[in-house]
This record gives sequence, C-alpha cells and structure tokens, in this order.
Amino acid sequence: MTAPRVLLLVPARTYRAADFLTAASRLGLDLIVGSDGALPLGGRPVVPVSPGDPDRSADRIMAGTGPVAAVVAADAPMLILAAVIAGRMGLPHNPVDAVAAACDKAAQRRRWAAARVAQPTFRVVPAAAAEKVLRQAAAEVGGPCVVKATSLSASQGVLRADDPAAAVAAARRVREVLAGADHQADEPLLIEEYVPGPELSIDGLLTAGALTVTAVFDKPWTPEGPTFEETLLITPSRLAEPVLAAAIDAAGRAARALGLTHGPVHAELRIDERGGQALPVMLELAARCIGGLCSRALRFPGGTSLEEVVLAHALGQPVPGRRGGRPSGVLMLPVPRPGVLRAVDGQAEAAATPGITGLSITIPLGQRVQPLPDGDRYLGFIFAEGDTQDRVEQALAAARDRLRVVIE
Amino acid sequence: MTDLPAQVAAVLDRSLLPSIIARGAALRVVGVRDGVATLELTGSPGAVVPLAARIEAQIRAAVPGITGVRIVTPGDPAGPEAAATLAEQARGIIDREINPAIAAHRGRAVLVGVEDGWVRIRLDGGCQGCSLAEVTVRQGLEPLLRARLPGLVGVLDVTDHQAGTEPFFSPAKR
Repeated sequence: MTAPRVLLLVPARTYRAADFLTAASRLGLDLIVGSDGALPLGGRPVVPVSPGDPDRSADRIMAGTGPVAAVVAADAPMLILAAVIAGRMGLPHNPVDAVAAACDKAAQRRRWAAARVAQPTFRVVPAAAAEKVLRQAAAEVGGPCVVKATSLSASQGVLRADDPAAAVAAARRVREVLAGADHQADEPLLIEEYVPGPELSIDGLLTAGALTVTAVFDKPWTPEGPTFEETLLITPSRLAEPVLAAAIDAAGRAARALGLTHGPVHAELRIDERGGQALPVMLELAARCIGGLCSRALRFPGGTSLEEVVLAHALGQPVPGRRGGRPSGVLMLPVPRPGVLRAVDGQAEAAATPGITGLSITIPLGQRVQPLPDGDRYLGFIFAEGDTQDRVEQALAAARDRLRVVIE
Repeated sequence: MTDLPAQVAAVLDRSLLPSIIARGAALRVVGVRDGVATLELTGSPGAVVPLAARIEAQIRAAVPGITGVRIVTPGDPAGPEAAATLAEQARGIIDREINPAIAAHRGRAVLVGVEDGWVRIRLDGGCQGCSLAEVTVRQGLEPLLRARLPGLVGVLDVTDHQAGTEPFFSPAKR
C-alpha cells in the first residue's frame, strides 16, 4: 500500500514546522512541503510558494506536485493558500472567503453579528478615523473597551482602554504596532466592549460543518489589561459541564457563521457572568489549531499528537474527540520588558520541578525582544502534567519562579 | 546509593517521557555504569537528540548519583571502516550539494560523526534556531543522503537550536 501523499504548507516564521514534520513521519506520509521560506534543496525539494499571491502559488503547485490526498496549512499565514489549492484539487476544504473572514477580526465580528452569535458590542473604525470618531465609538461600546488591530494575532496590537480618551491613545499605539509589523496602514481598527470573566480556548476539527472538540483549555491567569499576554492554559477545563457545553455550542455556531466547514479551529471565549448567568461570549476564532508550541501539552490515545490528529483528519480519518485523562498544561512566557535577551537562568531547576514535562526557551540569547502590544514572540513554553489541574498550575508556577530572565 | 536505574527511569516517566513521546520518540534506561546512565532511543531521533543536553541536566538534577547521560540507538554497530566510508561520503555530499545551497540563508551543515549508520549533523549560522531547520533536514538533507548512501540508517540533527544567535527565520506565535 502506498503512503498517502500530503501537501503541507509551512510559513517561514512558525513554531509549528517541526511538530507537523514529526507527525507526518510518524504517520508514514509521503510529504510534500510548500513554503515561502525553506530553500528548495535536493531530496524532496520544497516548492516555493507565496501566501500573498495564492493564485500564482496554486498554479505552481498544480503544475509541479501532482495529485495529493490532502492539503494542510501548518500555520495561519498559509490558510488562504491551502483553501485555494484544496479547492482546485477538489479536496474537502473551507471556502476561501470563510478563511479570509476568520483572518480578519472586523469581518469576523460582522458575520457573527449577522448570525446573532454572542460577542462583545463592537464598532469598526477606519484607519484614519478622527479623534471624535474614536471617542464616539468607545462611548457607544461602553467603558472599559478593547482596541484591536484587525489582522494581528497572539494578542499583538490589543489594548484595553478604560474611557474614550484612553481609547484614542490606545488607537494611536495600535497603529504604531501595525506600522512596526509592516501591516497595511489603512487597516481599520476594532473597538469592542471589554468582557470580564473566565477565559477559555476550544480546539476542534470541523467535518462538513460539525465540530468535534479535541481540547478545551482554561486560561486562569489571563490578564485584565492593558495588554493581554497569553500565559497559562490548563486542560481539561474546570468549568461546569453545562457552561462548557454552551461554550462548545457557541464555538461551533461561530465557526459555521464564518462559513467554515472543514479542518481545525481554535476558538477563544470568555464566560460573561454579569447578567447573573454564565453566557459564553466569542472573542476570536481562527481556522487553525492552537498556536506556538502549546499543542505539546496534548496527547491523544496511543501518544498521538494534535498534529497527527489534524493530518489524519485531513485524510478523512475519524477524530478521537475531546481529550480526557490526566490534566496537563502549558505556560507561555511573555516578554516582560523591551531590550536584549541576555540570559534565561535556572532552566535546569525549572525543568526538574515535579510535574514539569518540558521546557523550551525559543528566543536565542542576544536577540532584541519587545513585550506586548508590540511584540509577537514569547520567551518560551513550560509544559506540565499532574493528577489534578491545581497541581499542574502549581507546577507551572513553581517552574516559572525558578527562571531568571535577564534583559538589558 | 540505591537502585540508580530505577531512579533514572522514574525521572524519565515523570518529567521527560510524555513530551518525548509526543514528539515521536521514546527512551528507556539500559543501565547505569560509573555514574553514567545509558538510555536507548527508539522512534524519531530528531525528537530527542536536540534535547540531549536538557535531558542530561534534568536527570543529573533529579538523581545526584548520575554524572552523565549517554543516549544510544538500537542495532548492531557497523564496523569502523564502514563508518569511515559513510562519513567521508556524507561529508562530500554535504559540502558539495547542501552547503552551497543553504549558504543563501547564512547557514551551514557540519558532519559531526557517524555511528551505527546514523549520520550526526550540526547546523550553524542562519540554520541554528531557524524555524524551518526541521524542513531543511527532513525534506532536503536526509532524503538526499538516503538516496545516495544505501548504508545510511538516518540523520540526527544534534544542533542546540536554542543557542542559535542569528536564525534566518525566527518563529512567531500565530
């Protein structure tokens, strides 16, 4: 029996390449890689593609690779190209406009509003909006509010503002972040209501629009602003089952409201308890699996990784479903201040903390680092397992406290 | 000191194996001699070898009687002559075909050694810590060497990617 042939699209700047390649190797796939960064060496030459020019890149793939059984984007920048190629090849895929909507926080809000998906009150303001317009939008959504770039992710370009004057200042900062990230200067901004309450993320796979959840993470240390560093994720969720079921239902409806039908989704929600009931409110949803190295906190039956599950699903195989079993978690290490990273001391002690299963510092020493809202990188990731979620949380906190980050 | 192999195995089980298994490999304790723990690697070597320094640090921190860790792969070792020939051939291919190409990204692959049919390489310069280093090894270097060298079992990337100071592409969270 010949190995299934899979096209994996790998962007240049990603944490995800190694885990997807390992997964493909474990599944014994005949892998073709398309990338905008990797060099086309001998062996299995990488096919050069440009995610900014999906039609021409799809032409090159169609002409050069022959038929494949599945097309998978390893990370966000390749999502639209993957949908274009899969569509041309007649493979199950998300509509391109649905993927584009999922990549644009303003379009996402509009589609959810049309479908009556619970979400924060919001306004979309033009890039060149006058101060008066910004103040009015902030006043309309009510204070406190959150000002967001519409095209960035990982909490980059997201700031809380407690009143209209602060919203004007936050919009100015977000535009600076966009300029620094080489994003379009005419990109509109999103001003939305700040929703307090427990935050969670839901990962799953869509099959013909039906969502099978693979993992639900609680995010107990999510800050209340002004920036929103991602920190601790713990699974399985400790939320009450009815609340969890409502959140999963909301995530599925949100995905379908965007037009997504096939492949991984990663949804972020808050539980709004202000009205006396626990109402899941959609913050964001991406047509990919969880980012960074966070998927390493998950293992499925037989030691299978999330990337193996994603590749197998792309090949039409069933999804194992929500992960139960031993609690696990991951702690992302935000950049605490700007400067040059000189040292991360205490790694051996942190890694030896009971319950810790892995530690990965992902920024090389000597590199300039920026905290949120400007930066888009984390210092690293710590992983843990334990008998209970509390023990996982304690282990991650203890390991973090043993690290000494030196930034000059 | 009581049962050192059992203590090392406990550290493996408790703190290391889950993430190693998740990356596509497994480790087991073969034995401990003169304070050096020998671990046998199965599965994807690329999932373990880059972490070797951390695995050793963690075991040494948790088990005071351990002074070093050696990671071996199963199988009969090839003779020294075969290893020398394989090394010479691999070095030639790397120097002639791989390095001129990856020099475009300020990168360089260096043959570290050959053992039991496994070619150990280290990536320097722009390849060290690059988010696409795994693509370079698994789609470029390894299949090229496999196609040319029938005696090759596999390629081990022994680079300490965390120590790379000038990666051509830095990862970013999306």
